[in-house]
Amino acid sequence: MNLLQFYAHNSREALTLIGQHLFLVAVSTGIALTVGVPGGILLTRRPAWRGPVLGIANVLQTIPSLALFGFLIPLPFIGGIGARTAIVALVVYALLPIVRNTYTGIAGVDPAVREAGRGMGMTDGQLLAMVELPLAAGVILAGIRVATVVSVGTATLAGAIGAGGLGVYIFRGADMVNNTLILAGAVPAALMALAADGLLGLAERRLAWRAG
Amino acid sequence: MARGVTGRRSLALACGALLAAGCGRGDRIVVGAKNFTESDLLAELVAQQIERRTGLPVDRRLHLGGTFVCHRAITAGQIGVYVEYTGTAFTAILNHAPLGDRDSVYRAVAAEYAQRFGLTWGRPFGFDNTFAIVVRRRDAERYGLRRISDVARVAPRWKAAFGYEFLERPDGFAGLARVYGLKFAAPPTAMALGLTYRALADGKADLIAGNSTDGVIQALDLVALEDDRRYFPPYEAAPVARADLLGRHPEIARALDELGGKISDDAMRRLNALADVEHQDVAAIAREWLARTLP
Repeated sequence: MNLLQFYAHNSREALTLIGQHLFLVAVSTGIALTVGVPGGILLTRRPAWRGPVLGIANVLQTIPSLALFGFLIPLPFIGGIGARTAIVALVVYALLPIVRNTYTGIAGVDPAVREAGRGMGMTDGQLLAMVELPLAAGVILAGIRVATVVSVGTATLAGAIGAGGLGVYIFRGADMVNNTLILAGAVPAALMALAADGLLGLAERRLAWRAG
Repeated sequence: MARGVTGRRSLALACGALLAAGCGRGDRIVVGAKNFTESDLLAELVAQQIERRTGLPVDRRLHLGGTFVCHRAITAGQIGVYVEYTGTAFTAILNHAPLGDRDSVYRAVAAEYAQRFGLTWGRPFGFDNTFAIVVRRRDAERYGLRRISDVARVAPRWKAAFGYEFLERPDGFAGLARVYGLKFAAPPTAMALGLTYRALADGKADLIAGNSTDGVIQALDLVALEDDRRYFPPYEAAPVARADLLGRHPEIARALDELGGKISDDAMRRLNALADVEHQDVAAIAREWLARTLP
């Protein structure tokens, strides 16, 4: 059975899995954003925290995902089996690029520009909102782009923990030695990653154009 | 030169260059294994038993790949002996539909292997590595669960988690639920097989399907329930050898026969646990077992 025939026979299931996959990526990237961007900003205000925080995020990034799931299963609130655990793992992986790029973007703003803002009597909040964030937006968006694309790929592992998504086809195919099934999961996941990369790349370019 | 026997590569090359015909005399027996602990362990047992009883030199090609890799290797003469499971040979190699009776499966497999591939099935080791329905020991004691049919009472309040293969296979979940009348609170959770044990031990799932000889069943204080309606097809392990090799060395067949019926499910589980849970060396485990069981 080829891929198109497979989808024709299993369209409802395929759409459900694609929907679950998008949900996992959207929720986890959303959480990573709301935690990561303020986190990165905080690091520019508390330089002493930079080393430890980025260090921890770096280490978390290197934990193999199946091992991470294993660690998470027994934990209360954030563990167990199902979508919650998968989202926690995806957030862990998405945090590093977002935090790091937010920090780097803001730290990279020309000190002269910042001084000029201060000279005009801006408060720290105004400086952040009107000078630093707009100038760092390109770099921050690049971090979000990396985080999103990585999430689309990593979310296939949600299938290992009962959270559904396109990984279900990949795991099922791998266990049943069925290449069509593996492709049925891998191809849409790859297309989704390319689409996310393209859209966020477009946003990045428009931002660069506006800033220029 | 006999193809069932492979010399060391350099030696074979040298011999090949000089005089191919003279090389078959120093027979080296090659024992293969599939890519999981139990297969490595059994191959090591077989290898050491041949060494001890016949004095023939034995090469190990452990952790080769799946069923098909080993089957191709032995039919091509790259390996001379490996351990296969009756149910796997019956369904995956011979493409028959799964069958419940263990003796008829063994007889069918042995006859067809001899006729089609020139391979001989030895006596089964005695254990059956089939699917096993596994629960926490605590629950088994509290609810008095010994057999799978006992589960029907508690299933409506329970949550099951299975690997993908078990959910898909014809001899997997759908048939199990039908034969035993199991209705769970929710559809079973599909997840990676290795993580189902974790989920069960941590109380996130109440029932899983593992393999009956998995070492972790004992290590995590779990129990495998008896398949009282004989739903799962038999997967008895037995050595499979090239008939031409056994023809040249009948002493190998005699050595392997000694291993027949010597390893129960429980014993195999313990051997696997020594390797998987306590991380002991496979060769050392095999040596000790042989010294103790077949002095």
